[in-house]
Amino acid sequence: MTGEFFAFFILAICAIGGAVFMIHFDRVMHMALSLAFTFFAIAGLFFLLDAEFVAVIQILIYAGAVSILMLFGIMLTKHQEKEQTFTRTKLHQWLSFLFALGFLAILMSVIYLAPFTLPAGDQSLYSVNKLAEQLFKSGYVLPFELTSLLLLVALIGSIILAKKEEKE
Amino acid sequence: MQITSYLALAAILFSIGLYGVLSKRNAVIVLFSIELMLNAVNINLVAFSKYGLNPSVTGHIFSLFTITVAAAEAAVGIAILLALYRLRGTSNVDEYDSLKDESDLQK
Amino acid sequence: MRWITLTILLLPLLSFLLLIGGRKWRSRGLVAGIGVLTSYGAFHLSSYLLMNMIQKKTQVVISMPWLTLSDQVVHLGIKIGALQAVMLVLVSLVSCLVQIYSWGYMRDDERFPVFFAYLGLFTFSMLGLVSSANLLQIYIFWELVGLCSFLLIGYWYYKPEARDAAKKAFIVTRIGDVGFFIAILMIFWKIGSFELDAVSKAVSTGTISGVWVTWIAILILIGAIGKSGQFPLHTWLPDAMEGPTPVSALIHAATMVTAGIYLVAATFPVFLASSYALDIVSYIGGFTAIFAACIALVQTDIKRVLAYSTVSQLGYMMLALGSKGYVEGIFHLVTHGFFKALLFLAAGAVIVSLHHEQDLRKMGGLWKKNRGLAIWFLIGCFALVGLPPFSGFFSKDEILQTVYMDGRIGLFVLALITVFLTAFYVFRLYHLIFAGTSRTEQKNTPVPKVMMVPIAILGLLSTLAGFVQFPKAYFSSFLLQGSKLASLTSEAAPAWIGWVAVLFSLFGVGLATLLYWRGYQPAKPRVGLIGWAHRILEQKFYIDQLYHYVFALPLKGLGYFLIGWDRFVVGGLVRLVGLVPVGLSRIASMLQNGQTQTYALVSLIGFILLVIGVTVGRFFS
Repeated sequence: MTGEFFAFFILAICAIGGAVFMIHFDRVMHMALSLAFTFFAIAGLFFLLDAEFVAVIQILIYAGAVSILMLFGIMLTKHQEKEQTFTRTKLHQWLSFLFALGFLAILMSVIYLAPFTLPAGDQSLYSVNKLAEQLFKSGYVLPFELTSLLLLVALIGSIILAKKEEKE
Repeated sequence: MQITSYLALAAILFSIGLYGVLSKRNAVIVLFSIELMLNAVNINLVAFSKYGLNPSVTGHIFSLFTITVAAAEAAVGIAILLALYRLRGTSNVDEYDSLKDESDLQK
Repeated sequence: MRWITLTILLLPLLSFLLLIGGRKWRSRGLVAGIGVLTSYGAFHLSSYLLMNMIQKKTQVVISMPWLTLSDQVVHLGIKIGALQAVMLVLVSLVSCLVQIYSWGYMRDDERFPVFFAYLGLFTFSMLGLVSSANLLQIYIFWELVGLCSFLLIGYWYYKPEARDAAKKAFIVTRIGDVGFFIAILMIFWKIGSFELDAVSKAVSTGTISGVWVTWIAILILIGAIGKSGQFPLHTWLPDAMEGPTPVSALIHAATMVTAGIYLVAATFPVFLASSYALDIVSYIGGFTAIFAACIALVQTDIKRVLAYSTVSQLGYMMLALGSKGYVEGIFHLVTHGFFKALLFLAAGAVIVSLHHEQDLRKMGGLWKKNRGLAIWFLIGCFALVGLPPFSGFFSKDEILQTVYMDGRIGLFVLALITVFLTAFYVFRLYHLIFAGTSRTEQKNTPVPKVMMVPIAILGLLSTLAGFVQFPKAYFSSFLLQGSKLASLTSEAAPAWIGWVAVLFSLFGVGLATLLYWRGYQPAKPRVGLIGWAHRILEQKFYIDQLYHYVFALPLKGLGYFLIGWDRFVVGGLVRLVGLVPVGLSRIASMLQNGQTQTYALVSLIGFILLVIGVTVGRFFS
């Protein structure tokens, strides 16, 4: 029972719990908040994996920007107070659950059947300097710039899509 | 500490997200679930970058790209949702059925 | 001679075709003229044929190949022997007279030409029936006369009783027809020919064994029973009186119902070869005679009394044939044709003069108002009762003698009692119509002259027809010329039989006169044995009810069961077969509901099944 395992255990419980609550809460706002909680827990897991930069980005982008975006989305559209799951057929619900479970079972069996017995990488490999070096000096520059282009396109596209259409 | 634990956690989160995508009525929640699935993938990437065959920061770089694309996706997704909401007056996924051939399956 | 024979047949057919084509013609004179002239033509030529045959003692035979069945050739043929010539004359004469009568009787009817067309078709069919040389052809015409009977009984199809009666006649005679048809098949199987001559030859040479002869005879008899209204298939004949009265006279008294008698006579060698068959014929005939006479005692419908009388007289003819009295049966057939047609036509005249009233209880006193009709009716009654010198006396007397000589004393006694009963009901009928005072408020309408002419002719014939056999047996010698049946004529019967019969008749007439001279007495409440008997007779021995409960209801139940089976079991299976693809395609179309989540779920299911399918084998190898 190492400290790392203990921390992983707590964070995993938090992440799964947040996700489950996201599925099971009745009110949309509560769902958004529980998902943000999951994002925070995942950020914690990234810290545990020596990915400090990614963890911070996770908190900034996901727990911050995306969640806020979602909240705007929630507020700009009208919702019933409660999520009604019963208008969809029961059969659909059950089949979804069953096959999501089946998918999980397949994944689990693959994961536990695979012989993963590898040593952990050295902590010194994962500094932010190394990351920047890798990113900008070994061929990831072009994709990085394309990402910015993608973001620009997404920005413009979102504005055009979300803009109110003018009355003709 | 083994990689399997992280992979298992990611699998669980992914499946929960999958279930949410398949069964939730509210389009916003469906988008949430998609984000959750993407996050599960990120966990995998980062976990492999530490416990994988060739430990390096490349996994981190990939997850950065994923996060970027996910952010763009969320923005466009919300924008599409708003446009659809204005068109149909609802944010329920089960009322978006324009994939169906409207001419003969009106019922 | 051949052309004359063919012309006899084709004239009524021509009349039928003309009139059914011209069924919208308004001119009644033209329509009736066509009918009467064609049937008169047929009668004239038939008489010529008959005269010719009496003088030259020849036969007319026309035959042409029709079907070739492997090695057998079925012929389409006409053969006019003595019996056939007599039948031709009888049928065409009565048909002609009835058509003249119908001119008056049906004058107010909407479908006047159709009626005459049907009569023409009937005449053609009946003439065809009696002139056919083989059984297959007889069967065709046999069914055709059945069809005409159906059409004419149901002529007033807007009356439910007429509809029911027509259906009943068709269905009940069908039972007999099936028997006849089986007999024909058996004959072809065993003898290899349909020809009447071949049949009699095969029987006389003993080609077919005794058991088969008996069976064939019995089956032919069943056909005859159906057509001639013998017990137990008699129930349709009284109901057939729902048809117009000329039809009753022509078809259901004088001609068609005698087709059964004719059939037995035409295949008489078969019957002679089997004593069982003869027994059955005579017992059925004798029983029917007294049975129908009993029912006739209490009927209150003028036509029904006559109908039961017809059944009874047909029973006499059967009795005669069963007692090997070939000539006697035919003789009675002819005389009965005349006097029963006379009675029916006269009854029709009575009905017309009383505004279509048929209930005997509302008649009476017609003697004072229509003396001529009363006299002709009386002649018919005398003939039917069998008082000398009217024709019925001779024919009935001969039947009684034959039965006595044949040795069935029980049947002889029954026949004698029937003579008494006949006399009683006939004169009950007569007195109820003509004696006393009128029991209805309506005034009488005069009977058209055109209706009285056939009545007068038939009256004369009924009076005189007996003298073809008296004082010398001209009729038998003609009928038996060149026939093997000639050997049947036996030694003379004791003369006292005739006297006893006349005595019985007079007794019956007297009793009826005593009881009904003052007309109809309103029924006193009848009690005890007499009341009981009266009720049974009124209900015609409950035969109709018996058939209803024993045959009609179970068949109806079976019908309902089959409907249920068809609707729920068969129909259910059919619907199930239809529902399975509908259900499957409904499931398939539910998948195409246009919702992304459903599509995603289906993809997921497909993916998982694919993974399982690809990898599952690994765990078992």
